Amino acid sequence: MSGQFHRPHAWAWFLERPGYVRFMVRELTSFFVAGYLIVLLVTLGRLGGGEAAFAEWLSALSGPGWMLAHVVALIAAVWHSITWFAAVPQAMPVYLGEKKLPAPLAAVVMGYGPWLTVTAGIVWWVLR
Amino acid sequence: MAHGTTHEHDVIIIGGGGAGLRASIAIAEENPDFSVACVSKVYPMRSHTVTAEGGAAAKIKPNDSLEDHIYDTISGADWLADQDAVEYFVNEAPSEMIQLEHWGCPWSREPDGSVAVRPFGGMKIERTWFAADKTGFHMLHSLFQTTLKYGNIVRYDEHFATRLLIDGNGRCRGCAAIELRTGSVRAILGKAVIICTGGAGRVFPFTTNGSIKTGDGMAMAYRAGVALKDMEFIQYHPTGLPGTGILITEASRGEGGILVNKDGYRYLQDYELGEALDVSDPRHPQKRAMELGPRDRLSQCFIKEKWAGRTIETKDGHVVHLDLRHLGEAKIDKKIPFVRELSRNYAGIDPVYKPIPVRPVVHYVMGGIDVDSNSATSVPGLYAAGECACVSINGANRLGSNSLTELLVFGAQAGRHAARFAMDNPDYDVSELEAQAEDEGARIRRAWFDTSRRNGERIVTLRTELHDAMENGAGIYRNADSLQSACETVADLRARYRSVTLDDHTNSFNTELTAALELGSLIDVAEAMAHSAIERTESRGSHQRLDHTERNDDDFLAHSMAYHRPDGSPPRIEYKPVTITKWPPGARTYGAGSGLKGEDR
Amino acid sequence: MSTELTMTLEVFRYHPETDHEPRFQAYEVPYDEDWVVLDALNWIKDHVDGSLTHRWSCRMGVCGSCGMMVNGDPKLTCAVFLKDYYPRPIKVEPLVNFPVERDLVVSLDGFMDKLEAVKPYIIRDDVNDTSGGEYLQSPAELAQYKQYSMCINCMLCYAACPVAGHEDEFLGPAALALGHRYNKDSRDQGQAERLDVMLVGEAIWGCTFVGECTVVCPKHVDPAGAIQQAKAVGAQEFFKRFVAPKGAGV
Ligand SMILES: Cc1cc2nc3c(=O)[nH]c(=O)nc-3n(C[C@H](O)[C@H](O)[C@H](O)COP(=O)(O)OP(=O)(O)OC[C@H]3O[C@@H](n4cnc5c(N)ncnc54)[C@H](O)[C@@H]3O)c2cc1C
Ligand code: SF4
Ligand code: FES
Repeated sequence: MSGQFHRPHAWAWFLERPGYVRFMVRELTSFFVAGYLIVLLVTLGRLGGGEAAFAEWLSALSGPGWMLAHVVALIAAVWHSITWFAAVPQAMPVYLGEKKLPAPLAAVVMGYGPWLTVTAGIVWWVLR
Repeated sequence: MAHGTTHEHDVIIIGGGGAGLRASIAIAEENPDFSVACVSKVYPMRSHTVTAEGGAAAKIKPNDSLEDHIYDTISGADWLADQDAVEYFVNEAPSEMIQLEHWGCPWSREPDGSVAVRPFGGMKIERTWFAADKTGFHMLHSLFQTTLKYGNIVRYDEHFATRLLIDGNGRCRGCAAIELRTGSVRAILGKAVIICTGGAGRVFPFTTNGSIKTGDGMAMAYRAGVALKDMEFIQYHPTGLPGTGILITEASRGEGGILVNKDGYRYLQDYELGEALDVSDPRHPQKRAMELGPRDRLSQCFIKEKWAGRTIETKDGHVVHLDLRHLGEAKIDKKIPFVRELSRNYAGIDPVYKPIPVRPVVHYVMGGIDVDSNSATSVPGLYAAGECACVSINGANRLGSNSLTELLVFGAQAGRHAARFAMDNPDYDVSELEAQAEDEGARIRRAWFDTSRRNGERIVTLRTELHDAMENGAGIYRNADSLQSACETVADLRARYRSVTLDDHTNSFNTELTAALELGSLIDVAEAMAHSAIERTESRGSHQRLDHTERNDDDFLAHSMAYHRPDGSPPRIEYKPVTITKWPPGARTYGAGSGLKGEDR
Repeated sequence: MSTELTMTLEVFRYHPETDHEPRFQAYEVPYDEDWVVLDALNWIKDHVDGSLTHRWSCRMGVCGSCGMMVNGDPKLTCAVFLKDYYPRPIKVEPLVNFPVERDLVVSLDGFMDKLEAVKPYIIRDDVNDTSGGEYLQSPAELAQYKQYSMCINCMLCYAACPVAGHEDEFLGPAALALGHRYNKDSRDQGQAERLDVMLVGEAIWGCTFVGECTVVCPKHVDPAGAIQQAKAVGAQEFFKRFVAPKGAGV
């Protein structure tokens, strides 16, 4: 009697289902988001270090390498936000009596709506 | 079969469906120091109660009355129900249903938060509680989850009971059961036993019943000398999906669905079931009339339409149409979403846009293990409840939605009585019972694992012949000839059963072995059905004889009792009078003005 | 069967008494466009090889017995049709992430323990008494938990969840959804007791929200959503317990 059979776990489990790959991509985007946060922190640090340091930093950031990094980070951040908002109706369902708000609408009400409002607010504050 | 270990408890329950779980809780709750064993051949939440769709009846609303529920049940049963049992059932039903509500069953609700009720066939008023159209599913899961609260309920999941163990004093003290994982035969012992193994629709080829409904408990009791009562009464549900036999619940008609023949005509109006009100008439659907007539009548009407050439021919046999389109998408999705899901998946039809093809399908066995009004069998210490038992509240025709309630009422009652028996009769001889279980293991091994026997018949060959014999011989309409040939085929199959051989002679999870044992149960049950049917030379409820078309109260206001003969010869059929208390037999009428008491008419 | 067309089923075979490794066995089955994969397995068992072992009962997608991997996806075999795959062969395996008992049958031991762990029953302080009638519950209150009460325990979600496969402590999608179902039931008062179980170690926090459980769930239970909601409740509770530990009179 050899008993129950336990299937071995694949090392590359994250390639087994398209959903896993999407999950890994979403998780990876958070590195870019985190990375960009560091860039922001450094920027703030430089701002504290005086006008010259800040200008130097800004000009370094406008180099082609940094521009590419910005674009990649932007795409990652946008993708991360989209997946995040897609999950909002699941994590925070909104009920109107017996009816659950349909997912796309809930994503707008709970996600995109506030996001765009806040973004618009910031843009207005910066540009005013 | 290896000999397995012995396990001792206070009460043994065979079956983890609605009845078995309700019985388990009743004992566990009232006797906290008792140990209750719940033995089931599948995990409890797989039990067939899970498929029940429409609802469960109990008086709850102020416009309803216990008296009406009693009368509907008795007249629906064509006066073959025991009236003391029906009274007990109807009186206990409300508190049992409320209890289940307290245990978390997600009943559909009225806007004020009280439970909602819907009309059902043969009921004078709406009194059927429902959880959308997954009532049985929710009831079973609520019960199962509630059992997890009690540390003194010990489950034997995936244990296939094969034999009742009866001590030298003639008392039932447990069962022998194959532990599927290892294949060993265990002796599961207790001071009292309740059989809750459900129905036996699988005796027939076209049925709403799942693969596990093979009448094992009925067969075990039958072999132990208990009579099988009223086995000739088999319910055909009028609306099954052709091909698969999947049920389209009566709730679809309770919500207003109509049945039409190939000309789009509501043919039920031609069969003394009342007037066909327009679907927009506020009085539609009318209770106890037309589409809400009782199931036996509706299934019989289908056959008559077929004889008249007014049904629709398909590759899966003749059908009529169940039309729900006028209900609209919103109502269908709210009240009967599972009907839509099933029709779409298994018939490729969306009932919002198209009528559903349906035909009568074997659904329920009214008969079963003979028990008295305390759920006790003739063997001391042995009780039965649920579809496997016949107490009898269903008589010659069960009303839809009475069965789920029956599981609760009589499951709890059987639990209480078995617990009392266990308390009063605590002592038994373990070794004697162990020896029986050992013997059972040896018997199974001899019968099925003898490798010198090869190339015998396959299980499926015999099962198919059994199906054909029962469908042709003991269907909606029967006569002496058709039943005679069914009896003969069953006898022949019983003889050939011994020469069936298996491909699989291993121990672990041998489901070919259990299929063979289930075939044995089916043959026993079919024998009781066919012989009880041939002896009843009258027509009553679901038992319609073309050669004896009238009800005959002088000779047959009585329960048939089929007794097994160990030598393999046909069963002995006896009769036991029906208990009539306040409701003398009357004409069974449906349509306008029906539902009045017998004496009022 | 009205046709001579056939198709191939490649079935995972493993017998605990004789095998150390599983193998695949190919069977030719008649092709019938009305057949579900389960019908083909039953046909094999009845007519060709009685030793093939699988579970089933209702064949209408509600008992939860017949979950298997069909071409790599967790499916109820009574709800997927041969015609969806024909004429390509169909590979049938037992659900992944569970120990295999035999052939297509997996062990439910761990799963049952997890279901039981979340205390899936109504917990209340008052005595159980039916004489006062039913507890009132409005349709809106019912809607709060109804979806999470639809689980048939088919375990497809565990087969789709990478965490369930790697982390034993994780209670898994169906069990957590069930715990959440009772927490959301207006008749229940047992949330604190359940959180005691759910907030321990990886029990709920193991979930990284891959979300495949919800994708494969045949009953639209959305266990992933239930888990995230439960986590939110849990996080609040965790914080409360942190600032005012139990017994501190809050
Ligand atoms: C499709 C369908 C819809 C229905 N809808 C309704 C409805 O709307 N309203 C209504 O009132 N009724 C309805 N019914 C009828 C009702 O559901 C059944 O009569 C009832 O559920 C039977 O319950 P039970 O507990 O007696 O048996 P089951 O639920 O069938 O349970 C039997 C138990 O016994 C166990 N068992 C059997 N044999 C053995 C063995 N040899 N060893 C160990 N264990 C064994 C099984 O594992 C199982 O746990 C419906 C029935 C069907 C088929
Ligand atoms: S949550 Fe869905 S997939 Fe998981 S066990 Fe329940 S019904 Fe199956
Ligand atoms: S057989 Fe019941 S879910 Fe498939």
